[in-house]
Amino acid sequence: MEKITNFFKTFLLLELVKGMALTGRHFFARKITVQFPEEKTPQGFRFRGLHALRRYANDEERCIGCKLCEAVCPAMAIHIETEERADGTRRTTRYDIDLVKCIFCGLCEEACPVDAIVETRILEYHGEKRGDLYYTKPMLLAVGEKYEEQIAKDRASDAKYR
Amino acid sequence: MINIEIDGKHINVENGCSVIDAADRLGIYIPHFCYHKKLSIAANCRMCLVQIEKAPKPLPACATPVAEGMKVFTASEQAVKAQKGVMEFLLINHPLDCPICDQGGECELQDLAVGYGSSASRYHEEKRVVLHKDIGPLVAAEEMSRCINCTRCVRFGIEIGGAMELGQAFRGEHAEIMAFVSDTVDSELSGNMIDLCPVGALTSKPFRYSARTWELSRRKSISPHDSLGSNLAVQVKNNRVMRVLPIENEEINECWLSDKDRFSYEGLNSAERLTKPMIKQGGKWLEVEWQVALEYVANGLRQITHESGAENIGVLATPHSTLEELYLLQKLARGLGSHNVDFRLRQSDFSADSKQTGAPWLGMAVADISLVDRFLLVGSFLRKDHPLLASRVRQATKKGAQINLIHATDDDLLMPIVNKEIVPPTEMTTVLAQVLKALSTIKQATLDTSVQQIVQSVTPSAIAQAMADSLASGERVAILLGNFAQQHPQASQLQLLAQHIATLCGAKFGFFGEAANSVGGYLAQAVPFVGAEHGMNASTMLTAQRKAYILLNVEVELDMQDPQQALAAMGAADMVVALSAYKHHATEYADVLLPITPFTETSGTFISSEGRVQSFKGTVQPLGDARPAWKVLRVLGNMLNIPGFDYNNSEAVRDEVLGGTDVSAKLGNALHGVTAQTATWNTTGLQRVSDVPIYATDAIVRRAASLQKTRDAATPRALIHSVELEKLNLQSGEMVKLTQGHGSARLSIIADDSLPRGVVRVAAGHTITAELGAMFGTIRVERA
Repeated sequence: MEKITNFFKTFLLLELVKGMALTGRHFFARKITVQFPEEKTPQGFRFRGLHALRRYANDEERCIGCKLCEAVCPAMAIHIETEERADGTRRTTRYDIDLVKCIFCGLCEEACPVDAIVETRILEYHGEKRGDLYYTKPMLLAVGEKYEEQIAKDRASDAKYR
Repeated sequence: MINIEIDGKHINVENGCSVIDAADRLGIYIPHFCYHKKLSIAANCRMCLVQIEKAPKPLPACATPVAEGMKVFTASEQAVKAQKGVMEFLLINHPLDCPICDQGGECELQDLAVGYGSSASRYHEEKRVVLHKDIGPLVAAEEMSRCINCTRCVRFGIEIGGAMELGQAFRGEHAEIMAFVSDTVDSELSGNMIDLCPVGALTSKPFRYSARTWELSRRKSISPHDSLGSNLAVQVKNNRVMRVLPIENEEINECWLSDKDRFSYEGLNSAERLTKPMIKQGGKWLEVEWQVALEYVANGLRQITHESGAENIGVLATPHSTLEELYLLQKLARGLGSHNVDFRLRQSDFSADSKQTGAPWLGMAVADISLVDRFLLVGSFLRKDHPLLASRVRQATKKGAQINLIHATDDDLLMPIVNKEIVPPTEMTTVLAQVLKALSTIKQATLDTSVQQIVQSVTPSAIAQAMADSLASGERVAILLGNFAQQHPQASQLQLLAQHIATLCGAKFGFFGEAANSVGGYLAQAVPFVGAEHGMNASTMLTAQRKAYILLNVEVELDMQDPQQALAAMGAADMVVALSAYKHHATEYADVLLPITPFTETSGTFISSEGRVQSFKGTVQPLGDARPAWKVLRVLGNMLNIPGFDYNNSEAVRDEVLGGTDVSAKLGNALHGVTAQTATWNTTGLQRVSDVPIYATDAIVRRAASLQKTRDAATPRALIHSVELEKLNLQSGEMVKLTQGHGSARLSIIADDSLPRGVVRVAAGHTITAELGAMFGTIRVERA
């Protein structure tokens, strides 16, 4: 019996018709391709893109150099050096993220006790040499300053789930 | 013995043992903060509460002695509930600043809060604030709000350090730890309070905020400073020494470390480090390659050997150098044909050379010091020269040991001293002879001919008699000679008399030892009296100026007995080769500077004063082009075609020197063929008494920035008895000009009535006094 069914299926090219039907359905359906960069996909407030170092409203940098992000980073992409600043507070003298190593897991922002290191919604950044993607403290702070409004908004939206 | 049961496990312990001790032996951990095995019991943190059968309430395990048939439950519902309750109370006032706290990652409170704390606090009122304090350049007390009032630091000060420098003031919620009497903690053991503090209230100031504990790799090493040979854990990050902690060794440093060992690492990262070989050409220093520098040295040495004979080469090394370095250095010198090798730079009496049965050593194990019941300490700045040995002696006095002290200064040893005789250095032999005479009367012994003459010439004073009585009444007696006695111009006389005193009362007899390798230097044969041919010692090779000098780690103006003479000899020499880790004053007189590495960057061996051979490995890579000195000397030996310089590693050198780790056969303090002389050395005028301040002893310590900010490292002042001051018609605090030979120094002079008459105390080892002459001798004082 099975032999007979198989014979008719093969003879009538039933599988081919099924396949073509699927192709045909998508051929006439509405396209989901996003025309980047003219079009963009929607992003959640937890999107994990380019890193930023934030400052408080009084312009004081948030980072206290606790090195928890450095410790938690699974890709070992963060490098921090600290010292006692003249006013007696603990501050970083160096805060580097190697974005080539970074896997954007978001553990650094999770570990940060003062919300200093965050991942922003920015994904359109590039480097022309490999060294360009080695972000130093001033570069990270600059990102933070530029996008602080958006970052603060995203933090606020996330706050109720934390 | 008492039978008890802890968590269902049985153990037999001695009467008086605490529950926490018994549990520790069973491997059961009971959480605690204030309890420390080396300190007294305070039972004020209450963290170690455990349930004990038939007790109505939980009891603190640290303060509860065991009783027959006792049943203890450390993790029962009642115990854990009590422990959690205590933790909640402790956390009420503890700030939540772990991310910026240097203790974070090695904090006992943090660790225990994970197990016993709840995830949220029920306390919403205001937290207690304790103001920060400045207690000196080593210990940071910036966040005293973190303090949980366990009083470990206070008890350490009283019980181990000998002085209550920190105390707890006020009551209840207002209780706080603060510096008592003076505003700072000046103990030479203060760093241990950092280790003891279970929270981040007391932290290390030099280390502050520079790294986190989990980033550091921990490597073993041995202290290169004092003769104890403390075991160090050198903590390293990115090829840089970040801090030094003790490694517990009950037989040596217990769990402590002196500040000198702990904070001297700052000197390793000093900006003065020499990183390139340098040659002086036409009065200018040029950086050159190793090959060039070594060839220059080899050619120079060859030329001098050829033209004026090898005996015109003098070789000096510090006793802080490793065994391997000292051995290769003397092998190099002897290979060239010169026997002028010495490492005893601050010694002035060499008459005991080759009359000694072995290398002078402690004469006993370090651990046995705490068991001694009668001490005779001769010429020792004990607390400053040997901080941890001093603490051992202090422990012995707690058990009733009596201390008899013969010295030229009366510094506070922070322990009870039964008899003391503070005399000018010229009279120290007389006092010892008096004690010997009194003792021989008590013991009714006939004395050896070598000391008979001097003993007959003295009559024991009341103090000498009391000392003799004290020594005769002891069971375990120790006669120990300090650095001052070793540097004394009559060192061998002191040694001989002390030896006879020791024989009479069956005492252990030894030397505290000046530096990490004071014993090792002898075993490495870095002395001029090895074999048949004898060379010049550290003193004569300067008086009879040599054409060439090789200096290993030596800063002649600071490390020598007579800096004036040393500088003159260096200035007159045709060639001075300085192997040094630092760029220092040698740039004035040397021709070649070879950058060698300090102890953290080389492998090597130190032999401590008790004859313990301790080898260590390098902990970080050498800085710049600096190389371990044993490698430099090995290559130099090859270049000079001296046979037997084919070592592959420092262990091979060590094995050649020692042939095993048991060196006890090579140690010995007894003197043969020395006769005590009645005549003291002819003295007129004021006598100089010198100590080498605790933070001026060696090159590394002198460059440790934080140690140099302490009170012990303050600019030296001249101290003198007020009667002498009056005679000189001077006021205390005035600036004076001190003159020895053709050099002078300007210091302020202070009246100090604890000094004997006829002496001026002026520190050595300091740039201010480097122009002066020998550490002992006549000194002139006049208004500046």
